[in-house]
Amino acid sequence: MLEAKFPEDPLPLLEINVDDTSHIALRDPQNCLLCANKPCTYICPSQVFEWEEEALKINYSRCVECGACQKICPENIIWEYPRAGYGITYHY
Amino acid sequence: MESYDAIVVGAGPAGSTAALTLARNGLSVALLERGQFPGCKNVFGGTIYAQPVSEILPAFWETAPLERPVVTEELWFLHTDSAVRVGFGSLRFARQPYNKFTVLRSRFDRWLAGEASKAGAVLHLKAHARDFVFDKGLFTRGPVQGVKLDNGEILLSNVVIIAEGVLPFLTAKAGLLTKVPPAYAYTLYVKEVLSLPKEKINDRLQLENDEGAIIGIVGFPTSTAIGKAGLWTNRDTLSLVVGAYLNQMASHGLSPYLLLKRLKEHPFVKRIIEGAEPVEYQAHMIPKGGYTFLPKLYGDNVLVVGDAALMISGRRGTDLAMLSGKYAAETVIQAKAKGDFSAKMLANYALKINRAFFMEDIKARRGDLQYYQNRSDADYLISSTLNELASEFFTVDLLNEKEKRERLTGILRSKQFPLKTLGDLWAALRHWEAL
Repeated sequence: MLEAKFPEDPLPLLEINVDDTSHIALRDPQNCLLCANKPCTYICPSQVFEWEEEALKINYSRCVECGACQKICPENIIWEYPRAGYGITYHY
Repeated sequence: MESYDAIVVGAGPAGSTAALTLARNGLSVALLERGQFPGCKNVFGGTIYAQPVSEILPAFWETAPLERPVVTEELWFLHTDSAVRVGFGSLRFARQPYNKFTVLRSRFDRWLAGEASKAGAVLHLKAHARDFVFDKGLFTRGPVQGVKLDNGEILLSNVVIIAEGVLPFLTAKAGLLTKVPPAYAYTLYVKEVLSLPKEKINDRLQLENDEGAIIGIVGFPTSTAIGKAGLWTNRDTLSLVVGAYLNQMASHGLSPYLLLKRLKEHPFVKRIIEGAEPVEYQAHMIPKGGYTFLPKLYGDNVLVVGDAALMISGRRGTDLAMLSGKYAAETVIQAKAKGDFSAKMLANYALKINRAFFMEDIKARRGDLQYYQNRSDADYLISSTLNELASEFFTVDLLNEKEKRERLTGILRSKQFPLKTLGDLWAALRHWEAL
């Protein structure tokens, strides 16, 4: 799992069964260049999205399945649940 | 191919209640959960309520995995270094018939699905229904016949109860989503569960034995957005949660994770969680669309319950989800008796929902969404003003009472232009239930 840029990343606490393929995609990566604030990079509670070298990186392995990204960016983010049995498992 | 009277998609409170009710009445039912066990992907605001849950599971507190009965409830209007606190404590709530309990969803939901399973429901784990199987219609597709799992497996049934939670993928595929709810119809919350010895929890919150406390916090936690924080006691952990309207966090440039970190540093919060070790971090959305975005609740061979049906009213959700699951199941039982699962027959479910006590509230709150979008400074204004007033009121100084009163009204006058205050008060009065 890639580390977060935010301080004291809480994700190592979590049990996430990561699938081989991503459940998150972009309609067109070029659209992100036109997006001014890039809210996905700070709205996502587990920092799945990072803006690096003029491109949006999607660390889908960090996803905790809240679905907020597709609600703030329905234009460009395609988000589905991971396959059955994959993804987050909470214990509390 | 497996075939059932009913398939319930989602083993949360709504789905498991539906499955339990159906199984108890002798119907064959499959209960599908996409995770490794029921509750493993679920997050909520901490408490379930004794009265509504007893409607479904009488005396559930004797067997359900509960954390603590809540005896203390507080609301804090938190400012940077002060707080106005209101609250209520009653030791009666620590005894039968109780009032509300804190629970951990991974344990409670698992138990509830287990009850459904004991009653005869067939629990399918790691079963993710991605689509329906439709009957072949003459010109268009026919009614729902069952579901298709993401491993290709097909399950058939007379009726499908959609209990998929906050994200309405299947509701949309069933053609029941009337409008796609936009970002302003959701709140996003993040939570940290912190481990702390029971004695320390009890000392810091003035509790004894298994007594629980819940503190709602407005103002400081959400910075400039409309939202809330909460802190409550589990058996040997504390839950700290913060969240706000999704569109407001996005447009105000707020990160929910950083809001949580910031809240943990607030001196009044810090002294409660001091020394506690984070054991889990969670995030989830709440569908706040309300009456405006209510989906169609039924169609031929299909019903929608719980979060998917926007059964949310203020702080209430889990209990309304369970009740909606019960009503859906009762409708299906009658449909089975009649041998008719058409929309006309299943419309009984909408009737039950519309006659339920909570639907009055959901209807009455239909203006809340707009209120919070038009008055997104409401939380900041209320919290900061209350703190400034209280600070002046409680400060002992060398003024006579008349001068003191003038100081207090002066605070109100200098907060913002009087016309804005009038407008705010007028709007607040019209939406007092939103506050």
